[in-house]
Parts: sequence; structure tokens; C-alpha cells
Amino acid sequence: MIGEPIARVWHVTLGIGAVLLLLIAYTILSMRQHRENPDDKTIPSWSQLSEGVKKSVEVNQRSNERWVVADAQATSLRLFWGVFWGVSGSLLIGMLMGCFAFVEAFLYPPLAFLAKIPPIALLAVFFVLAGTGETMYVTMIAFGVLPTLAQTVYLAVKEVPAELRYKAYTLGASHLEIIWNVLLRHVLPKLIDAIRLQIGPAMVYLIAAEMVVGDVGFGYRIRLQFKLLNMSVVYPYIVVLGAFGFGIDYALRKLQAFVSPWYAKGY
Amino acid sequence: MDQPASLAIDCLSHGFGTKPVLHDVQLRILRGQIVALVGPSGCGKSTLLRAIVGTHLPRQGTVTVFSGNSHLTGHVVEGPGRDRGIVYQHYSLFPFLTAVENVAFGLMLDQTNISYRLFKFPRWLKRRAEHLKQAREFLDRVGLGSAASLYPSEMSGGMCQRVAVAQALIMKPALLLLDEPFGALDEAMREELQRMLLGLYQENLAARRKGELEPHTMFIVTHELNEALYVGDRVVGLSQYWDWRQAGHAQPPGATVVYDCSAPIFEPDDTRDFSCFAGQREEIRDVVFNPDSAYPREKHLRYWQELEQQREAEPAP
Repeated sequence: MIGEPIARVWHVTLGIGAVLLLLIAYTILSMRQHRENPDDKTIPSWSQLSEGVKKSVEVNQRSNERWVVADAQATSLRLFWGVFWGVSGSLLIGMLMGCFAFVEAFLYPPLAFLAKIPPIALLAVFFVLAGTGETMYVTMIAFGVLPTLAQTVYLAVKEVPAELRYKAYTLGASHLEIIWNVLLRHVLPKLIDAIRLQIGPAMVYLIAAEMVVGDVGFGYRIRLQFKLLNMSVVYPYIVVLGAFGFGIDYALRKLQAFVSPWYAKGY
Repeated sequence: MDQPASLAIDCLSHGFGTKPVLHDVQLRILRGQIVALVGPSGCGKSTLLRAIVGTHLPRQGTVTVFSGNSHLTGHVVEGPGRDRGIVYQHYSLFPFLTAVENVAFGLMLDQTNISYRLFKFPRWLKRRAEHLKQAREFLDRVGLGSAASLYPSEMSGGMCQRVAVAQALIMKPALLLLDEPFGALDEAMREELQRMLLGLYQENLAARRKGELEPHTMFIVTHELNEALYVGDRVVGLSQYWDWRQAGHAQPPGATVVYDCSAPIFEPDDTRDFSCFAGQREEIRDVVFNPDSAYPREKHLRYWQELEQQREAEPAP
């Protein structure tokens, strides 16, 4: 029946089954390709892939560093600081908009407009304004996620029933305590949900920018290895990127359960 | 002993746009009373309640609240304050706090501020433990000691309302306002909570006998006539149906107090027999709820007269 839950064992089995199916499909595809062309590099065989993985994790003689470590470090730092500033700005703007009507009237139109522009389209503007260094990546991610996150915070504040605010006042709360102890507590889990959804777009902006102007990072490496048709390096990098996103999402879910246990209990 | 006033509403009028809602409302509530406010839908009961809470101030007139532990001092309401507790029908509790945290929330807000909690953390922790202990005692009083760690989403509607009452009572407000508090509950739960309020009224009577100030004064807005007569010791009717033409108005000026009488007093263990106030119920229906009624507004304001007669009948101490 629609919506009927299934046993946990089925959950796990079906999940593993889906991954296995993907691996089998890749194996069949790769084998067929290599039967037609034994030197094919576009869909590498498992042995070619292991060579690519080795190349990524071993110390490179020219740069004297492990590609995957250097790239992961660069990309994650850019992502962290970009998301950090984006979240901080959106929290401030969203809270102010939700709490004060004059800020709402002032900021809502530009925010609604900016939210509709894909940050990749603004890449050239970011290059001009922030150069092509680390600042540009952070600025781009921050500005990319800010409008949507600020709107989420603003709407979450608006959702808080007026009765709860009135009640807090009758319990002796100051204006600042209403913001800190009532509104922020309410907004936090919804903000984390929105960050989870924005991690994907943030990675898209970052990888795209790294592909264009980067000298280290996942985007740079994928573009470079693709140009050399080293797909045995590109595919493992894509898997690492997926795992990277999955890890961030898992950490955010854990954070949400820790800071807002009430939300997970079916508010 | 003369009861001091807890609330005084003088010449209160309010409206929305050009539409008048409340007209010249006059009401005085004495300390220790449970006053039930009834009236037809849309007559302005909630508007009056909001004016008392202070979230929507009236266009004209004043609301004065008298608070204090031994000596009562009055102040005109200009906004919400901790001397008035409120229990709403919905959204009674903060969803992100457990039952015990909800009850302790007021103590935290009232006795500490953000900088104290951040910069004097060890002292705050000690105080927090005291607050939670007090909150547990209040939860025990409303019969929910075992639900202390549950979130509102894990509790039934009745449990939430009990916690909301405890949350308001722990602040020892001069006036506890209840806005259709049991409207969304089933009959059994409603009865249980009504008995809980009657229990609080008994605490008032006990304090009065000892010559102390009554701890609980309540103003309950309800659309249920039986509930008003069963729980309240006084019933006030607010209605737009009164003889406003006779009073010199060309247009309906809005609702005003048209009924104010004592109600029978029940104890929590008494049998719930609504037939004993059938006559008064019919009278309220006719005076307050009947669109065709056009009584002069003062005709059924008998409470102060009744109180005087009651005092005269009481033996001298």
C-alpha cells in the first residue's frame, strides 16, 4: 500500500542491491567497450581504475604532494569558508527581515531577485570583483547560497506563531531574548535543512569555478585529467566528490539531531 | 475582608478600521476570582483579551493590572508583561522545550538575562538546577511529574494544556488569562482540566480563610456556557446585542458588557450537575447570545449588588 513502511532489513538489502547493480552495470559497460577497443580510456576497466586511484593517492614526483589530499584540502576549505560566511550572512539578514518590517520591506525585493540568478552566470562578475584567488571562491559560494538561505530563515521566523512571542513576553522575555531563545531555536533546524539542500549547488559553483581558474582542487583535477583523457582518475574523483557530499550531509543531519532533538521527534 | 482588585478596565473601546468592535467596556476583577467571559462569535472576546495581555492596545480607555505579593500596586497596561500569564487554545507551549523546560522557561527569562547565562555560566547552571526542581514540583501539582522529559509533540492536547497552566502559574501572575483553553479537547479531558481549575479556586478559598492574599486570579474566555458557569465564580457576558439606540447611538457602537452575575461555586469532587444552573444558562442565552434581544446594558449587571448582599449576610468576624 502507498506509504506503508518496510522492515529495516529490507531497507539495507535494497540499498546494497542498488549499489551492486550500479557496479555490475559499469562492469558490463566497460567490458563491452574494451572488447571493441582494448586501449579504451573512456570507460576504464577495474584494473585501469585501480591504477588511477594509485596515481591520485601516491606522492606526485613533480608537485611532491598527493593529489587527492591537496585537492580535498583546497576544495573543502573553500567550501567551508564559503558556506560559513553565507550561513552567517543569511542568518543575520533573515532574522532581521523576519523580526523587523522595515528591514523586510528594504531587503526582500533585491533578495528575491538575486535568489533567481544562478551564481555561475555571475562567475565573470566575481572574477572582476574578487580576482581569481581564494577570496573569489569563498565570495562566490557565500553569495550563491545566501539569498536562498536568507529567505529560508526569514520564512521560518514568519512561521513562528505570534502567540509564542506574546507568551514569551508574558514570561518576562526581552526583545533580544525573544530572538535568541525563541525565534533562533525555532529557525535552527530549518536552517540546517536548507544548508543540506544548498551544499549541492555550492559544490556546483565551486567545481565550476575551479575548472575555469583553479590550480588545485577537485574541479581543477577533473578538468585537467579529462583533457588528458585520464578517465581512470576522473571517475574515482567523482566517487570521492559524492562521498564528500554524503559525508557533509550526514554530519549536518547529526548536528541537527544534536541541536534540535525536538525537530526529529515529529514537530 | 474586602478583596482588592486585580484588574480594572475603564471605558475601553476598540475597532478595526471604521468597524467598531468594543464599546465602553467597564470591568473590575477582584483578587482570587475566576471570571468567565462569554459572548457570541465575533463579539470581541479575543480583542478584549489581547488588550489585557497588552499585545493589541485599545483605541480608548485603559486596562490597569494590580500586582504585588502583599501590597498591590496598579499600573496601566502598555504592553505584555510578566504580571499577566496567558494560556492559549493552540501554541500553548514552546515546541523546542520539554515539559519541564517549558515550565522553567519563565523563571529563566524572569530571573536571568543572556549575558548572565553566557558569562556567569557556572552560577547559571546552579540556578538552572533550582529552576528545573521548581518546575518539576509544579508539574507534579498538575499531575504530570512523569512527563517531564517529553516534548509537546509527544504529549496529548490535555497534557499540553496542563503544562501550559503550570508554565503560567510558576510565574505567580497577578492575573491568569485563558483563551478558550479547553476548546480543542475531548469531553473527558476537558472535565479533568476544569476540575483542576476548581482545585486552584479551592486554594484561593483556603488562603482567604487564613486572611492571606488569594494566589490565583483567572479570566477565562470560553464559548461554552456550561464551562463558564461550572468553572467561574462569576460570569461576564460581552455582546453586541443591546439597546444601543436607546443609549443614543445611530449606528451599532460595538459589543459591551451586558451581563455580570455570580455563578454557583463547585468543588473539584462535586458531581458535575449542569441542571442546577439551567435557569441562569437560559438567562445568559437570552441576554448575551440572542440577536433579537435589546436590553439596556445595565439591566443584567448584578454582580456588585449580589456581592454587597452577600457581605451583609455574612456574620461579622
